[in-house]
Amino acid sequence: MARVKLSGAEIVVEELKDEGVEVAFGIPGGVLLDLYDILYEEKEIRHILMRHEQCAAHAADGYARVLGKTGVCIATSGPGATNLVTGLANANIDSSPVVALTGQVPTSAIGSDAFQEASTFTITMPITKHNFLVKRTEDLPKVIHNAFYIANSGRKGVVLIDLPKDVLAGVARVDLHPTWTFAGYKPNIKPNQVQTKKTAVVLANAERPLILAGGGVISADATEELRHLAEFLGAGVVTTLMGKGTIPEGHPFCLGMAGMHGHIYANRAINECDALLAVGIRFSDRTTGWQLDQFAPDATLIHVDIDAAEINKNLQVDIPIVGDVKLALSDIIKWLEKKKRTEGNSKSVWVQRIREMHSACEDCIKDVRSAGSSISDRLIKEISEILDDDAIVTTEVGQCQMFAAHYYMTKNPRTFISSGGLGTMGFGFPAAIGAKVAAPDKKVVDIAGDGSFLMTCQDLATCVENDIPVVVCIFDNRYLGMVRQWQELFFDKKYSHTGLGITPDFVKLAEAFGCYGERVEKPEELKDALNNAFESGKPAVIDMVVGKEDKVLPMIPPGGGIIGMIGTEKCKHV
Amino acid sequence: MQTRIISLLVEDHPGVLTRMSGMFTMRGINITSLTVSPCEKEGLSRMTVAIDGSESELEKVRKQLSNLIEVVKVVDLKDEEAIIRDLCLLKVHAKDSGARSEVMQLAESYGARIVDATLDSVTLELTEEPERISRFVELMKHFGVKQLFRSGVTAIGGGGGGGSEK
Ligand SMILES: Cc1ncc(C[n+]2csc(CCOP(=O)(O)OP(=O)(O)O)c2C)c(N)n1
Ligand SMILES: [Mg+2]
Repeated sequence: MARVKLSGAEIVVEELKDEGVEVAFGIPGGVLLDLYDILYEEKEIRHILMRHEQCAAHAADGYARVLGKTGVCIATSGPGATNLVTGLANANIDSSPVVALTGQVPTSAIGSDAFQEASTFTITMPITKHNFLVKRTEDLPKVIHNAFYIANSGRKGVVLIDLPKDVLAGVARVDLHPTWTFAGYKPNIKPNQVQTKKTAVVLANAERPLILAGGGVISADATEELRHLAEFLGAGVVTTLMGKGTIPEGHPFCLGMAGMHGHIYANRAINECDALLAVGIRFSDRTTGWQLDQFAPDATLIHVDIDAAEINKNLQVDIPIVGDVKLALSDIIKWLEKKKRTEGNSKSVWVQRIREMHSACEDCIKDVRSAGSSISDRLIKEISEILDDDAIVTTEVGQCQMFAAHYYMTKNPRTFISSGGLGTMGFGFPAAIGAKVAAPDKKVVDIAGDGSFLMTCQDLATCVENDIPVVVCIFDNRYLGMVRQWQELFFDKKYSHTGLGITPDFVKLAEAFGCYGERVEKPEELKDALNNAFESGKPAVIDMVVGKEDKVLPMIPPGGGIIGMIGTEKCKHV
Repeated sequence: MQTRIISLLVEDHPGVLTRMSGMFTMRGINITSLTVSPCEKEGLSRMTVAIDGSESELEKVRKQLSNLIEVVKVVDLKDEEAIIRDLCLLKVHAKDSGARSEVMQLAESYGARIVDATLDSVTLELTEEPERISRFVELMKHFGVKQLFRSGVTAIGGGGGGGSEK
């Protein structure tokens, strides 16, 4: 492309368009005036003005998780950038591709404690995959191109670009759309053939093969391959929280989420399997529990991940495979098909047992549910039934999240969006905004806690002003419920600073913003309320009254293992 | 536990050193020394990281370093093959002529250079393998060390090769 003379702000916008950016979530400020001046006239990029930068980052994150396409957020220097931090850390730890643009004081003022100066570059270094502080206007094309390339390749993540005022205002002659990249960045890793072949042999010979699928499967768009492999092998599939949607929950081989608040039969299957293929996961303690001798003790452990640094980080494995999950699964399938399965029958006992566990344990823990969570689980089941398969559910953090993870039947990838690694209260609602912008034709519901929602609810204004009709369903227990649950179980019911009192009235709060609001006192009222909300065409808040002391069970107690979860005492099958 | 040395080629960008040391802190990795220097390639710098740790810890460091976008190459320098050097500057008390001549004699036997001297002190320079320097410093403590500076290790692969690339 020919050399052109442009201002920094113009270069930024041109490069964003070249990267295919259609939406940006942001809030302007003094040092960003030049950029916003260009955005004012820009037709190809829809800028959505948020009401808090944290929400801008979460919205970009939600958008990215729904589309697989890099989300973009913008914030001004100093407080704008520091407000982004939580959202960026959240996206990065969940490997969600986001590019953040931040304003910065002019290069000449950097280090002088100028007005609204904060060292965004150093602050965000540990919570991004990479970041840039641009010192010269002419560097912008290279930096922006690389930011998008890095964010959405290899193990995806957040890239931040810090843009000093004079770099945006300055003019330079540049070649747009460069192709240069870092010599040391080689993200496209082909899985080792010896390892995938070995895996195929182990899986084919296993009597009780199990697949543990994580967010990496969704990120690599490898859900088809995963399902094919499971069906071909007759392997059960369990998922992590991030892996919800890798296989339809309800598929006969799917045992749902495993781990701390997982299903007993999912955890049991991990304990009993003789070959465990862990794909796109990082063995977080929320998945493995803390008694690692209970975690697949008899199994040959195979770990597939794009990030070599995840191999043997939390758990020692027998067969490591570093590489693209989609390629790795395809290769394993290829080897298996070559081998022609002859020993298929040997797995029928295991498949039978998986099915049995699936349905039987459901009954065994009914008691647990009615003791601990009579209403909350019913509400999620209602939501699960009312919503169509391609609707998108986001969650806040706490009991609400774990009820959703446990009982919401996710059917498709990229339709269950939750803060996995960071556990950020306030994530679900702005993520829903991003999701709705990404998929305007889909229904988007945030399963919220009353505590979480108050952390980011000001962006109801964004929804109203920009016609983004998401529905927030609040589990109204007037508690920081998850913390309260721990206090109940492990701290003698001393509810230290977890009660939320009686304010606000969430219906009135919704109405104050011009949203639809309705209160639901009984689970059977939810269906009508949800339909009313969708029909209103407005952003909506449904205040669902739940048992104040509902508990989300079963659970692995702190320090415990995947066997012997609290609440599974009556299960006859474990 | 033994000292392991990793040699890196990194992009010569502002902030790379912060990024490295930040990564070590964040991952809970203790490093014994980290040095930076220009290298034969334009636009790149060489970093030498010394770590006390097991093979598995070393593996972790290697992988985390490779994940940094600005790291171009990670080379593991095996002790046996690598030529490892540390530079030490130390100022030793030498009040009387007896002490002074003893210090000078020992310095000579270790190959240390006398770079400065006053009536009551001698300043020595020694470039050597880290362990030999440590031994020399221990000896000098006998006379009283006023000040000690060590540069941290730098290393190069022995023979014609460049060390094993990871
Ligand atoms: C930003 C943030 N602060 C604190 C926490 C710790 N925390 C985890 S769950 C929880 C309670 C969440 O309460 P609520 O949103 O009402 O959900 P509930 O558990 O009641 O369903 C808290 C305080 C957190 N995860 N995130
Ligand atoms: Mg609550």
